[in-house]
Amino acid sequence: MIFQNLDISHYIYLSTVLFSIGLFGVLFRRNAIVLLMCIELMLNAVNLLFTALSTYMGDADGQIFVFFIMVVAAAEAAVGLAILVMVYRNTRKTDVSFLDQLKG
Amino acid sequence: MISIYILFITAVLVLFLGLNKSETKFGYFTSLILILTTILCVAGAKGWMNFDKLSTWAPQNMMFFGPSEYLFTALITFIVAIVLWIFAENKEIGTDRIGLILFATIGAIMMIGYQHMVVLFLGLETLSIPLFVLAGSDRERLSSNEAAIKYFLMGAFSTAIFLLGIAFLYGGTGTMELQAIGLKPSFMHALEGMATPVMIRIGLVLVSIGLLFKISAAPFHFWSPDVYEGSPNRIMAFMSTVVKSAAFVAFSKLMLAFSGVKSDWDYWIVAIAILTILWGNIAALKQNSVKRTLAYSSIAHAGYLLMYVLIATEASDFILFVYLLSYALSSIALLAMAHQLQLDTEENLNFDVFKGLSKKQPAMALLLAIFVFSTAGIPVTAGFAAKFYLFSSTFASYPLLVFVGLLGSAISIGYYFKFIKSAYLETGTSDNRIVENRWVYWLLAMVLVAVGVFGAVVLQFVGV
Repeated sequence: MIFQNLDISHYIYLSTVLFSIGLFGVLFRRNAIVLLMCIELMLNAVNLLFTALSTYMGDADGQIFVFFIMVVAAAEAAVGLAILVMVYRNTRKTDVSFLDQLKG
Repeated sequence: MISIYILFITAVLVLFLGLNKSETKFGYFTSLILILTTILCVAGAKGWMNFDKLSTWAPQNMMFFGPSEYLFTALITFIVAIVLWIFAENKEIGTDRIGLILFATIGAIMMIGYQHMVVLFLGLETLSIPLFVLAGSDRERLSSNEAAIKYFLMGAFSTAIFLLGIAFLYGGTGTMELQAIGLKPSFMHALEGMATPVMIRIGLVLVSIGLLFKISAAPFHFWSPDVYEGSPNRIMAFMSTVVKSAAFVAFSKLMLAFSGVKSDWDYWIVAIAILTILWGNIAALKQNSVKRTLAYSSIAHAGYLLMYVLIATEASDFILFVYLLSYALSSIALLAMAHQLQLDTEENLNFDVFKGLSKKQPAMALLLAIFVFSTAGIPVTAGFAAKFYLFSSTFASYPLLVFVGLLGSAISIGYYFKFIKSAYLETGTSDNRIVENRWVYWLLAMVLVAVGVFGAVVLQFVGV
């Protein structure tokens, strides 16, 4: 199996790259749905890292943490989509560029 | 633990019983329950009562409530009780907002008592997710919608960074328990003189960024004036005090665990503190809205409080306690007074609401002055005592930071004076509304002056 030849550092690099893709997505995209997807990508990159580290160190804590992250990510997505629906009702847009009311 | 049980049961009851009823009565009821919880927590902190039996099922390496944790829990529940009481007069139907506020409070208490990163993470999210909803609870108002979506994006984004930090710390130290997490780098530093592994350093920076977002320290503060201005006034009062207090307690506990390798992280905390103090105070000068001024003022206070993270030891909790108490009470009182004086609309809360207050309601104008003095840190108020303890204990190790702090306090007089100016010097044509719940303001002012004058006695009581 190819996976047995992989060092832990490969997992760390992979999840850091995935996390960075999500991070730049949040910073540069303007569609709220895409933003939600990018945040989900960031959280899943962290999940990957936790799982890899947990297996590497032979310690179950990291894998259990992943369950908590999944639960919280689901709750966050639910609330985020609800907020988005509320915004859509008022503005008829899913674009976050309406966010310029508050300034100063 | 006892506070979590009580708040949870209350939240569920309030949610079910108040389904189609007016919010006001439930606000007062919940507030009384919270005061009771505060009293129980103080009793637990001073050892008058023992609640250990109630928490036997929760492993001590997950969550632990000792005297100082009980004391901070008492502070949080007291703040929430004041917020609910002072803002209770409204015409909302349904008690879901009160339920959400209580669930968020449970999250704050988890952040105070955490011993394991899982509990810190869950506490942070239990605190944040209800607040995403509450920030947008004026569904028809576009600025409230904007606040909700900004707060949500910022919160989810900072949570992801925070989690990546925990993952790196886990990889570097092999543990997520607070008691053990700092041991490895500290030993490596003390015994073998080795540098901290790069993984732990990255982890520490990322976890701190996640928490600094919540604390709203510069340069991670950009969301907070907008979110505070857009959210309903009551929610702003909650966010700017409870979230900040809980995040500071959690942050200082985490950094205390890494105090063995302080030279790895103290320089960037100093840099962030200086930036936050200057940015917060200078940006506040040009604001016209009360809410935005208070938001920038809370950013500046976050800067002063970052000093505490640098000097924290096991025995210095009282400094943080007194500072958070004075900051929270005075900023809630200022915001609540502006809220009550304002004529109907939630929009554009500017300094005109205080016009002519000294003529029509001289007692309230006097109280306003006390609250402003306390926030600004002028003597005989709690704000001065808190700043004095904080600055004097920081001075030995970080004199530059204290100098910047004093400079920042001097700048801050410029915008705190606006409150006094419009209450005393400007003769108002606008007919102010009458301030309700006057005795709460008297109580808050008395607490602030008492802490300011009898600081030493309070310290003896608090000194755990």
